[in-house]
Amino acid sequence: MNLPGLAVRNIYRNPVRLALTVAGVAVALLTFVTLRTAVMSWDEAKNYTLKDRLVTRHKVTFVMDLPKNYADDVRDLKGADGKPLIRASTFLNWFGGKDPAHENDFFATIAADHTTFLTVYDEIKIPDDQLKAFNETRNGAVVGDLLAAKFNWKVGDNVTLESPIFGARENGEPWAFKIVGLYSTTSKAVDRLTFYFRWDYMNDGVRAEAKDRVGWIASRSVDAARAAEVTAAIDKRFDDADTQTLAQDEATFFQGFMGMVSSVLAIMSYLSYIILAILGLILANAISMSVRERTNEYASMKAIGFRAKTLASLILTESTLIALAGAIPGVILSYLIVDVALGDFLEYNLANFFPVFRVKFWTYAEAVAAATVIGLFAGIVPALTVARLNVVENLRRVA
Amino acid sequence: MIPYQYNLRSIWVRRVTAIITVLGVALVTAVLAAALMLAAGVKKSVSVGGQDDVAIIMRAGATGELESGVDESAVGLVLSQPGLAQENGKPIGGGEIVVVVALDKLGAIGFSNVNMRGYSDQSLKLRPNLKLVEGALPKPGTDEAMVGRGILGRFKGLTLGDQISVRKNRPLRIVGVFEDGGSGAESEIWADVVTVRAAFGRQSGVSVVRARLASAGGIEAFRAVIESDKRLGLKVKSEPDFLAAQSEGLSKFLTIMGFIVSLFFSLGAIIGATITMHAAVAHRTREIGTLRALGFSRYAILMGFLMEALVMTVTGGAIGLLAALALSSTKISMMNPATWSELVFALAPSTQAFVTAGLFSVGMGLLGGFLPAVRASRISPLAALRS
Repeated sequence: MNLPGLAVRNIYRNPVRLALTVAGVAVALLTFVTLRTAVMSWDEAKNYTLKDRLVTRHKVTFVMDLPKNYADDVRDLKGADGKPLIRASTFLNWFGGKDPAHENDFFATIAADHTTFLTVYDEIKIPDDQLKAFNETRNGAVVGDLLAAKFNWKVGDNVTLESPIFGARENGEPWAFKIVGLYSTTSKAVDRLTFYFRWDYMNDGVRAEAKDRVGWIASRSVDAARAAEVTAAIDKRFDDADTQTLAQDEATFFQGFMGMVSSVLAIMSYLSYIILAILGLILANAISMSVRERTNEYASMKAIGFRAKTLASLILTESTLIALAGAIPGVILSYLIVDVALGDFLEYNLANFFPVFRVKFWTYAEAVAAATVIGLFAGIVPALTVARLNVVENLRRVA
Repeated sequence: MIPYQYNLRSIWVRRVTAIITVLGVALVTAVLAAALMLAAGVKKSVSVGGQDDVAIIMRAGATGELESGVDESAVGLVLSQPGLAQENGKPIGGGEIVVVVALDKLGAIGFSNVNMRGYSDQSLKLRPNLKLVEGALPKPGTDEAMVGRGILGRFKGLTLGDQISVRKNRPLRIVGVFEDGGSGAESEIWADVVTVRAAFGRQSGVSVVRARLASAGGIEAFRAVIESDKRLGLKVKSEPDFLAAQSEGLSKFLTIMGFIVSLFFSLGAIIGATITMHAAVAHRTREIGTLRALGFSRYAILMGFLMEALVMTVTGGAIGLLAALALSSTKISMMNPATWSELVFALAPSTQAFVTAGLFSVGMGLLGGFLPAVRASRISPLAALRS
């Protein structure tokens, strides 16, 4: 029998301990993968953004809006050569709507200019007849298909929302909407959980000083490669105005929000290291125990001529193999639980926070590599102990 | 019962694996305790200093100051109602404007929102704990601001003498630093209400009205008057009630996250304890047989081994709690979804956090030690002695 063969045999000598260790490693890696995926998903979502889609907002704060003529100015922006820089542009407002029937369920409500909205967000798909109805119905709304399923809304339903930001409509009537369509999307850049309604209906109803104001402007530049140039041109356009803007490409805009969650992400990142420490403790415990039980065997092997180096590598092989034996079910569990089950759940129910929640290949690789390295390290102390074993003393112990 | 020295010495014999097990439990306990201390820290910092006799009047549907709006005409009406404390014949109270500014976070990618409060001299009367620790109070009517001690230095521009831009060519200069007994206000920028109003185009009103009641018990009567006028569309909350709601979401989130993470982490620690105890039992088959032959009952054996597991996990738990306690001065800056802005708070040690995390370590010992202990109790004395 060769040495790796012996290492494998050794692993099976205590099936209960092996099962426990494998389970421990698998659960630890599952936790590690979950935490890493949560941290990475923010970065991952960025990959779905479009390089040529630009967002222009108030320079100082989200709570302030822009004059509506800014939207026209952005749309008509020309380069130094006199050629247009923007090929499509729309404007939107955060409405902050709440459905009294679903008081505790948050969902985004956004007023969008129905005439231009879909030219900028062309991932949003609405059936033709429903789109026609949206164009013909002033209080019409199109709702993400997932949101509609969640609240059991159907086309033709009437929904009344409250807005703490805008209060009641100017004429004292409630904000009454008619759902005229459901949308789906062809990309994860846009979630399917938003309630979009017509900007003109909102503008009718708000108080005089809030009229003709837009929350932000979304545009498509003529060339994705010129995003930096175009955003700079937008900001420059309003540099001398009272209200200045901050224009960013969608990826940079998205990245900006990292600041809001950076501490949560940092904590998750720390936690993912702590679980690796726990993983190391489980492996160190199992391997040091096995070696301790077999001290006399190692003494015998030394006595019949096995070199210290050989014995040490025998132990290191064993501890690494145990780690790998746990890493494989760990990866399979992670795929099933995190990637499939949790991923589906979060992407459908919490798309506002986790538009993408899928395990990256690299995270699996990271998990397996971490387990292997930790397995190797866990074996070092027992391997050194055995390498330094005093043959006479330990053989006497056997007798 | 088996003398406890027997089990303690057994642990000592296998001290390497015992220490490893203890460390695993310590890590898990520390994580859970720290999470609960975070949740307690949010609650504490948001609600500290809330006064029973201060009423907050805000728009009926609003859950926070940011989304609330009270018309200028309504402010006077609210303050002229009976039931408010008076000073020199005038009610103590006034409007405040709350907005957020997006500032670049130092030491992290991206920006976050910081609360900015437009205040008047009335606001200071309603916050007896607020005091200047550095610099000067902003002069009314100027583009001067003071910043809470918690948020100081955490965002670009938020240091004494620096400035942040709110409108063109009119930056707000930070002239002072204040503290407010560790409250949420320490995570805010304060500037004159007139300045904030102009800078943020809020000429038509304020966010909320804060007022001192003649007595804390008078809030019901005051509420009845304000809320019965449906045209005003306002609601009245006592400051403690209002503040409690502001911390609820974030502290609940942290508590739930803490438990979920600890539950998964504890599986590792429990398995570690089981491995250790399993080996302890396997090695002592003969000893256990002897004990049984001496007349110790199965129950005594079961309890003995369970105690052995508990000694390890409770030791680990204690170490974990000490580690968590060492974190208690750590300050964390996190976005509070209730205010849409950053809240700086310290991890707050609380009895509840410690008892919960302590019990958690006991639970890990019971779960990890149970199966091996049952196995030990089933060892037949005859078979064991023969082996």
